[in-house]
Amino acid sequence: MTEPLSPIATLRRELDAGTTSSRKLVEGALARAGRLESLGAFVGLRAEAALAEAEQADARRGRGELRSPLDGIPLAIKDNLVQAGEPTTCASRILAGFVSPYDATAVARLREAGAVVLGRTNLDEFAMGSSTENSAHGPTRNPWDAERAPGGSSGGSAAAVAAGIVPAAVGSDTGGSIRQPAAFCGVVGMKPTYGRVSRYGLVAFASSLDQVGPFARTAEDCALLLETLAGHDPRDSTSLPESVPRYREALTGDVSGLVIGLPREYFVEEGVDPEVLAVVRQAVAELERAGAKTREVSLPHTRHAIATYYLIAPAEASSNLARYDGVRYGHRASGAESLGAMYRRTRSEGFGAEVKRRILLGTYVLSAGYYEAYYRKAMQVRTLLRRDFEEAFRGCDVLLTPTAPEVAFRLGEKAADPLRMYLSDVYTVSANLAGVPGVSLPGGFAHGMPVGLQLLGRALDEATLLRVADAYQRRTDWHECRPPEPA
Amino acid sequence: MSSHPHPDYEVVIGLEVHVQLRTESKLFCRCAVRYGDDPNHHACPVCLALPGALPVLNGRAVELGVRAALATHCSVHPRSVFARKNYFYPDLPKGYQISQFEEPLATEGWLELELDEDGGTTKRVGLTRIHMEEDAGKSIHDTAIAGHEGSHVDLNRAGVPLLEIVSEPALRSPEEAGAYLRSLRQLLRYVDVSDADMEKGHFRCDANLSLRPHGETTLGTRTELKNLNSFRFVEGALHAEIVRQAALLDAGERIVQATMLYDPAANRTRVMRTKENADDYRYFPDPDLVPLQIEVEAVEGARAQLPELPEDRRRRFRETYGLSAYDARLLTESRALADFFETAAREHANPKTVANWVLRDVLQALKERDAALEGARLSPEALAALLRLVDEGKVTAANARPLVPELLERGGDPLALVRERGLEAVSDTGLLESAVDEIIAANPEMVERFKAGEEKILNFLMGQVMKRTRGKADPGAVRRILARRLED
Amino acid sequence: MARITREEVERIADLARLTLTPDEAERMTGELERILEYVASLEALDTEGVEPTSHASPMRTPLREDRVEPGLDPDRALANAPERDGHAFVVPKVIAEDEA
Ligand SMILES: [Mg+2]
Ligand SMILES: [Zn+2]
Repeated sequence: MTEPLSPIATLRRELDAGTTSSRKLVEGALARAGRLESLGAFVGLRAEAALAEAEQADARRGRGELRSPLDGIPLAIKDNLVQAGEPTTCASRILAGFVSPYDATAVARLREAGAVVLGRTNLDEFAMGSSTENSAHGPTRNPWDAERAPGGSSGGSAAAVAAGIVPAAVGSDTGGSIRQPAAFCGVVGMKPTYGRVSRYGLVAFASSLDQVGPFARTAEDCALLLETLAGHDPRDSTSLPESVPRYREALTGDVSGLVIGLPREYFVEEGVDPEVLAVVRQAVAELERAGAKTREVSLPHTRHAIATYYLIAPAEASSNLARYDGVRYGHRASGAESLGAMYRRTRSEGFGAEVKRRILLGTYVLSAGYYEAYYRKAMQVRTLLRRDFEEAFRGCDVLLTPTAPEVAFRLGEKAADPLRMYLSDVYTVSANLAGVPGVSLPGGFAHGMPVGLQLLGRALDEATLLRVADAYQRRTDWHECRPPEPA
Repeated sequence: MSSHPHPDYEVVIGLEVHVQLRTESKLFCRCAVRYGDDPNHHACPVCLALPGALPVLNGRAVELGVRAALATHCSVHPRSVFARKNYFYPDLPKGYQISQFEEPLATEGWLELELDEDGGTTKRVGLTRIHMEEDAGKSIHDTAIAGHEGSHVDLNRAGVPLLEIVSEPALRSPEEAGAYLRSLRQLLRYVDVSDADMEKGHFRCDANLSLRPHGETTLGTRTELKNLNSFRFVEGALHAEIVRQAALLDAGERIVQATMLYDPAANRTRVMRTKENADDYRYFPDPDLVPLQIEVEAVEGARAQLPELPEDRRRRFRETYGLSAYDARLLTESRALADFFETAAREHANPKTVANWVLRDVLQALKERDAALEGARLSPEALAALLRLVDEGKVTAANARPLVPELLERGGDPLALVRERGLEAVSDTGLLESAVDEIIAANPEMVERFKAGEEKILNFLMGQVMKRTRGKADPGAVRRILARRLED
Repeated sequence: MARITREEVERIADLARLTLTPDEAERMTGELERILEYVASLEALDTEGVEPTSHASPMRTPLREDRVEPGLDPDRALANAPERDGHAFVVPKVIAEDEA
């Protein structure tokens, strides 16, 4: 039998009661991963290592030496976070054969907490995409409808949690890559404040926007994971020094008096599926019934966010991806007679179309004569977007918006049209540009597919986001809806 | 070192110097900064540019950068920004160099040069900017090592902290360029910013050079000369490039902006590449490193700790101790030497005498042992004590001189050493008189010749007396007694 | 008027050490054209005197002490090397064209 895994909180009760063991959980997870292989959620499983680590966790439990509430819990890691002794592919041919000699800080912290890494999950190549279709390993499918995309770029992690293979997973979010797939797959996904979780060992896409964050079924499990992931790391110069609150203690279920801002620009009819908007409005009403106040606010520069993002992210990416040159690791084209030929052939063979597109775009906007007009301009608009949030948060505690303007689209539906694909990040990129935290949680269904609610908060105020998300989940059961079991 | 101006053209030279900062670890990772080890023995995820690795700035490197900036009278900026310089090369693991571009560490300073031996003419050369950056690794193309198919890449040096110091185009001859490099290197060593060891590549120079007719105010088209890694090399390359450009201009041709390579064997410069295929480095602020902020207090603190600079000390040595500019320069070559001299000079009535002994006897003894003053046993106080013994006639200068190397190695009290060697000068008149009488008695014909007016005979007789007293006699006393005896 | 020409696309591809097939170059030119057309919407926005944001966090860069820690053992440092000779990475010969 391969039952979908319950939330961590439930699993811990069963472990404490002795009705299950870490080994049983990991065995079940591996069996289920095998059974649901056609989802394409995983690009690699650590079957033996995971079972061995589970047994060690059971032994610790036996000795009463549990390291943390995550001890012995199987998790999945997006394949752009390096793990010592394991391959990291970033779903790219250019990293073929690469095995990392070191652990990402986020991974190391989970290991120290006793969590068992079951395997590496699929993504768009170098996290560049919104559908997990741009992967050297093939696409990941949406557990709710195999013909649809799980969103991206952390589609593998979102699908693995939605399908109940693991209770929680880790992903990265540069323009919505955690929140949008969480929305499409009907799970909770959080992008913390920029600098809250160390980026050390996260393969860089756009360094000033990238942030590591958790996926889970409940806000409570997200809080638990974030307590482990977050915190200052001297190896990351952009890591924030502030101490980490005990997020679970913020989950009081009480939102009375809390002011929820509804950004006008996110509720415009055009460009957003009306059924999605309807779901979001029901959620607003639910939170009002719970005692929260709502008011309309404005983020006037929102319509410039995508343009700003698609100048800044590719520019940084074009530089971050220069290290993939076939010299020290990864793919090298064979038989090149000169260094220049080796570079060109290696990179042309190794990178997929979307990555090449963004490298070209980024190289272009940084190149002589265009820097001022494009890159510098984008950095200035980024300032305006940041100020929008500062202004909005003077009048409210959190913002509530749709996570995406639509439900999960069909595989291949947007693959041919880069710009249309880019526009599906319209509600998520602003948080990355401003560095503020955001969470997406299941808010209902439209067209039979999950709809995500996005909560955005003040910098370092993840606690309030989780409190609201948890309060909402106490009053609704959307997060308990399971995708159909494949025959 | 005086420069001979070109007859037809004014020479305009600007220099870019890359200096390796004296740190234990690299600029952005904790790998050791070590020269000459096996390839890739000092490499980590950061300096190998492994996926996911991130830079963290070495605070010591910033301190040294600030110190160098202050020593060259630059203004240190409260905020500077690290930028990525993007280009592909196998010894550049990330595919970009972390450097500084729009907002460097410091700008607008100057360096003082002495343009001739006796330091009569000095010149202030303006500095445009000083910025921090990481070094690249090494690509080894030498077929003896790398074979014929490929090149080797060694990343031990990748990420080593450098300071790039850029001068104004204010140098007017290869000799001035040489003088600039010498005083810059001396200054950076003096303030402990760098070992500036050229053999080890701690001090590397690029030059740009242009010519213009005398009196012309706008600059001519410049060419760049890369990796000029010894002083002789620099001056040779610049001379060769002047010859090349002058010939072109004489022929009415135009100079093409280009990067030149110097062939010392042929003493010619040739075009390496022209600016048609110009680089496009796509500089932008490194998102992995937020801006570097340096408080005014920190800068003032560093300024307070800065030692008296060589140029000021030279001036003071001339004024307070009446030294020649030449001696003053030699004595300020290193901080240790200047300190040694000054301590000794304070303990002795005649600084010039001290300077002579330091520059002649002490330096020579060190040179023979190729030892460093830092390690020597001879304290400046001891040297002063020895010189006082000479002044007081307790030992002759001739006998004191050989003691310097001994004191250098063994240290100890000069007087004790003089006694131990039985070198106390004899000034006991009775003893000397009898010695003189014996010599006179023993050389009657010499005495006759002296009386006949052969003045120099006196020196012969003195020599005899000194020999008899085994060099310990006080020469002044002997001369007086001899003179008196020969009167009658 | 086109915002980017095929020639420019080939120039930046060269800067990025990418070789595009003729079809790729054609397609990319079209796609980049559309994307640049879209981002050009920023031109309308007045950003006179707005200071640029290059980092999401307001912090200053931290400084670490100058202490050496052992790096990777050379065999681990070279473990992923496509080609090595002893402890050196090996790359194809650098020819003049590569220097540019
Ligand atoms: Mg430089
Ligand atoms: Zn290192």
